[in-house]
Amino acid sequence: MTDLAKLNIDGPVATLAFNRAEQRNALSIELLDALHVKVDQLAEADGVVVTVITGAGRAFCAGMDLKQVIIDADKGGSGKPDLPRRLLASLGRLTVKIRTLPSVVVAKVNGAAIGGGCGLACVCDAVVTHEDAKLGFPEVDLGLCPAVVAPWLVRKIGAGPARAVLLRGGVMSGGRAGEIGIADVVCPDRDSLDAATDEVVRRYTESGALALTATKNLLNDLDRSRDETIVLRGAELSAGVLATEQAQASLVSRLR
Amino acid sequence: MIRFEDQAGLRVVTLDRPDKRNALTPDMLCDLYGAFMFRGDAQSAVRAVLLRGEGPVFCSGFDLDLCQDDGPEQQMMRTFLISLSEVVKQMRRSPVPVVLAAHGAAIAGGCALLGGADVVVAERGAKLGYPVVRLGISPAVSAPFLLDAVGPGPARRRLLDPTLFDGAEGARIGLVHELVEERGEVAPRAHEIARDLASKPPLAMKATKKWVLEVAGEAKMEGRAARALDASVSLVAGDEAIERLQGLWKTR
Repeated sequence: MTDLAKLNIDGPVATLAFNRAEQRNALSIELLDALHVKVDQLAEADGVVVTVITGAGRAFCAGMDLKQVIIDADKGGSGKPDLPRRLLASLGRLTVKIRTLPSVVVAKVNGAAIGGGCGLACVCDAVVTHEDAKLGFPEVDLGLCPAVVAPWLVRKIGAGPARAVLLRGGVMSGGRAGEIGIADVVCPDRDSLDAATDEVVRRYTESGALALTATKNLLNDLDRSRDETIVLRGAELSAGVLATEQAQASLVSRLR
Repeated sequence: MIRFEDQAGLRVVTLDRPDKRNALTPDMLCDLYGAFMFRGDAQSAVRAVLLRGEGPVFCSGFDLDLCQDDGPEQQMMRTFLISLSEVVKQMRRSPVPVVLAAHGAAIAGGCALLGGADVVVAERGAKLGYPVVRLGISPAVSAPFLLDAVGPGPARRRLLDPTLFDGAEGARIGLVHELVEERGEVAPRAHEIARDLASKPPLAMKATKKWVLEVAGEAKMEGRAARALDASVSLVAGDEAIERLQGLWKTR
């Protein structure tokens, strides 16, 4: 079986890839479990200064795995009523783990970063993408609530802009994501993303590793990034809305 | 190397070490702190402060040459960091508005001073940033003030990434409040704004500044600033900082 999450450590630079390209790296419970294992390894890895998170294939991460958040097995779902709740809580815990890694974390948003996928980008210390990538939080369009990732968007772009983004739903281009502060570096096209990311990574690897970690820890302290409670409460809220008939019907219609 | 003069309700404070790009010394930071104290008649006479730099740039940061012969405890660097934190806090405590003219460049400790100002003017091409992680120094000391100015996302980006950014980017994230096109326009525009603020009813100005800081959580700032200072100071005598600073002397 292929690894759903691939971790490669090359000196001071680690690369963690979502590796479920055929499903646009949608977050299944299996992918999330695999990511937890790799992120735990990263937290213990000596000498890693920068971690790059990216997606295999064309997408960065398309968000929650549709088949696992639909409950009714007769309609293509999992038949496991508690699975969506577990998925969302797992995603919430994963975001806190990524945020508190000692290395600087760069999201290399190679393609679609949707919903939970965009939340995973926002939790990173820097987001690099390209003009044509699609990012956003279309949860409300599907009758869902992006509560689990909302704390990270608020910390990334501020409360006022976050309210507008989350309530308006939809997706935006990488260029627009740069304008509103979701993306920090926006290169013109997919072909230039590797070089742009390498450049960002190089700035960190040339810096003092201890100084970076101390600065990051202090920032996590000041913006309360270690507070898992708010994220898990968000996961509960997201799961509650997701279980409603309205949301389930909307998700089923998307599956067809 | 710090001079200030009061004129018609406006106190103009000048970093006056142009041959060193206004690099800060501990004495300058000490005098800067004093320049934001208002004694006796000045208490009521000063209604706004303008902080500016003489010469081609506003401020290039700490004068690191002074750290070259520092002892193993890096006392000079500690003094720099502690003094910087005190100056920025003192600027924020100032009961009158503070306008800062960031022309040319405001780098590292120089950029940190922006965290004490209410209104920052810079030109589009001004060089800003906190490149000190390259030297193994943590810019954490500036974090609480930068967080307050621009929010956690941009603060995280700019404190971890040592790359300088321009005035336009500073304006986009909210660190610069008024952008002018040319370097030569910064000082006149900052002066104009400062004179305008000095002409406004002082009680209203004082109450408004105090209240905006209060609702934004200034009561917690002292504690946050202390934690941030600790994070920076705790690294200065470590191998990484010392090796990188020594590397800096070799390249000079």
